[in-house]
Amino acid sequence: MGKETTTLGTIHISPNALATIAYHATLTSYGVVDLAPKNLAEGIVATLTREPAHGVAVHYNGEEIDIDVHIIIEYGTRITSVAGSVANAVRFRVEKALGMPVHHVNVHVQGLHVSDSK
Amino acid sequence: MNPDVQARLERLKLTPIDGQALKKLVEAGLTWLRANQQMVNALNVFPVPDGDTGINMVLTMQSAYNEIDDLGQRGIGQMAAAVSQGALMGARGNSGVILSQLWRGFARALHNHEILDGPALVHALAEARDTAYKGVVRPVEGTILTVAKDAAAAAVQAIQETDDPCEILARVVIEADASVQRTPELLPVLKQAGVVDSGGKGLYFILEGMLRFVHGEPLDTPTATVQQLSAMNLENTMDSIEPGQDYEVVVDFVPRETLDLQKFYGELEKIGTSIQVGEGEGMYRMHIHVPTEKRYDPIDFVMSLGTITKIAMENLLAQMEGIDHKSSGTRIELAKVEPGKIAVVTVSPGAGISRVFASLGVAAIVEGGQTMNPSTKDILDAFENLPTDKVIILPNNKNIILAAQQAKDVTVKQVYVVPSCSIPQGLAAMMHLNPDGETEAVAAKMSKAIEDVTTIEVTTATRTVEIDGVSVEQGQVIALVNGKLAISVASVEEACLGALAHAHADDYELITLFHGEGLPTTETNRIVDMIRAAYPAQEIELQDGGQPHYQFIISIE
Repeated sequence: MGKETTTLGTIHISPNALATIAYHATLTSYGVVDLAPKNLAEGIVATLTREPAHGVAVHYNGEEIDIDVHIIIEYGTRITSVAGSVANAVRFRVEKALGMPVHHVNVHVQGLHVSDSK
Repeated sequence: MNPDVQARLERLKLTPIDGQALKKLVEAGLTWLRANQQMVNALNVFPVPDGDTGINMVLTMQSAYNEIDDLGQRGIGQMAAAVSQGALMGARGNSGVILSQLWRGFARALHNHEILDGPALVHALAEARDTAYKGVVRPVEGTILTVAKDAAAAAVQAIQETDDPCEILARVVIEADASVQRTPELLPVLKQAGVVDSGGKGLYFILEGMLRFVHGEPLDTPTATVQQLSAMNLENTMDSIEPGQDYEVVVDFVPRETLDLQKFYGELEKIGTSIQVGEGEGMYRMHIHVPTEKRYDPIDFVMSLGTITKIAMENLLAQMEGIDHKSSGTRIELAKVEPGKIAVVTVSPGAGISRVFASLGVAAIVEGGQTMNPSTKDILDAFENLPTDKVIILPNNKNIILAAQQAKDVTVKQVYVVPSCSIPQGLAAMMHLNPDGETEAVAAKMSKAIEDVTTIEVTTATRTVEIDGVSVEQGQVIALVNGKLAISVASVEEACLGALAHAHADDYELITLFHGEGLPTTETNRIVDMIRAAYPAQEIELQDGGQPHYQFIISIE
């Protein structure tokens, strides 16, 4: 994916590379306390392998790039705003690194985390 | 300190900070932030440079204030809880969410408190910081979070010396300012852009607004600022020119004594708008937009303050016209190339002709023509990066066909050169483009189409010569029909009419004229009217070709 042809040859950018960028953009985004495995199987795999970008899925159909991020948000923040910021940050950082437009960034809020019980 | 402020502070000391006082403080913070919102927007480069931090923070604060606006007498705990609730409901953007978390922590610390005293304020600021930091796994320093942290630390310091919440707030504001100034050291992206953090600056304005209210200072005139010279953004100021902004004046100067910014801004505001001041190594740069009659005023004013080193003045109205003109000429939408489809690369001598080609579905345009033949590499570069293997080149000039052929030999792509020798031939060929077709067949069809059109080119002879039995004197207007010299006469109109007659234009249906860049509009219209009168049965079209050297390129089909 992210294939670019130059006079010297072709450059391929793997979905994993993009997932890592998206992962870091998500984690530094305010209100996100963690990324979540999107299902049980991935959760088990993630604990076993420590995959560097769990909770992020990059899809490329030959034309458009779609990114899904699964996040856990701090309880007490405005969820739509946090999710919106995540989508913005992921799109910006990936597009900046890749030089190609990202079609969709889908943010899935998988849960809330309560930091304090007061 | 000003005696009025002193007296006000003495009075305030006796008044406990209860819910009503907090309401006033929140309102002051909101008002001051709003007054400076543009500046906060302009600083926004992180995490996404979309210039909305100021507006997001204002809307969040507005929502917080709306929640308490009609609340009556309350203890500070209840009032703060309402502020927190309002901020949460209205949190917008990253900075807005963080701001709402700060308020949430602040309110939690004041739970069940009736009034805000020194220790309570220190505790509340610390709780605000802790709550905000809990909201993110990897806090980025050099942001609003850092400013909140430094503000809380300053409060802890201040309580060692004073119990007075107003005095603590004053120290907090000083430290918040210093903290904002340090943000570029912590976050490299800020340093690169030559700015401080926008969210941190926004938080500073909220705190400063509260302090200004305590001091009884006005909250409606935004802070005058000096930016780093390198950060002064003078390029984009053209976008928003309003009436009365006829001239842009930029003056570099070295003031005799330290500049009183507030006063400096105040004087400039009487003269014009879009004021910016930059500073670097003792030198200041002042930028302003002024109406025509005041164009020398800023220079006279600055001269009274120190030594002027450089003055630049530009007529914005004239520039705007230039921009309008240019943008209409450069906005050419090329066809989007889809993988596997045929892409056409063409050579065009002028913007108008490029636009016509683009409208017919050309994927790439190489600039060039009679006296500016593009190289093989220029042509190669134009199609090498297109996402398709099927390319057709239209050279549109006899002298460029060879370069096009060479480009074909160098590349691995499947390339066909349709040997068009003129713009009309190229356009005629484009009429037969079928991007989905088989490249060789499409190229053959396009090559055939170029024979159906007759081309007339009208230009001025650059030397005295005799070609094809026509003698030409330098300075005469000549017309070529299908590349062959047809006539040489004294004027453009004679050349057009003579060449049309030579080409038997009355046997055809459509005459399209592309007028060149040097020809005045009135002259163009006059000649076109003459042609219309001479050929009433033919359809006559006029296009702005924008090509150099040729007064007219005419297509007959």
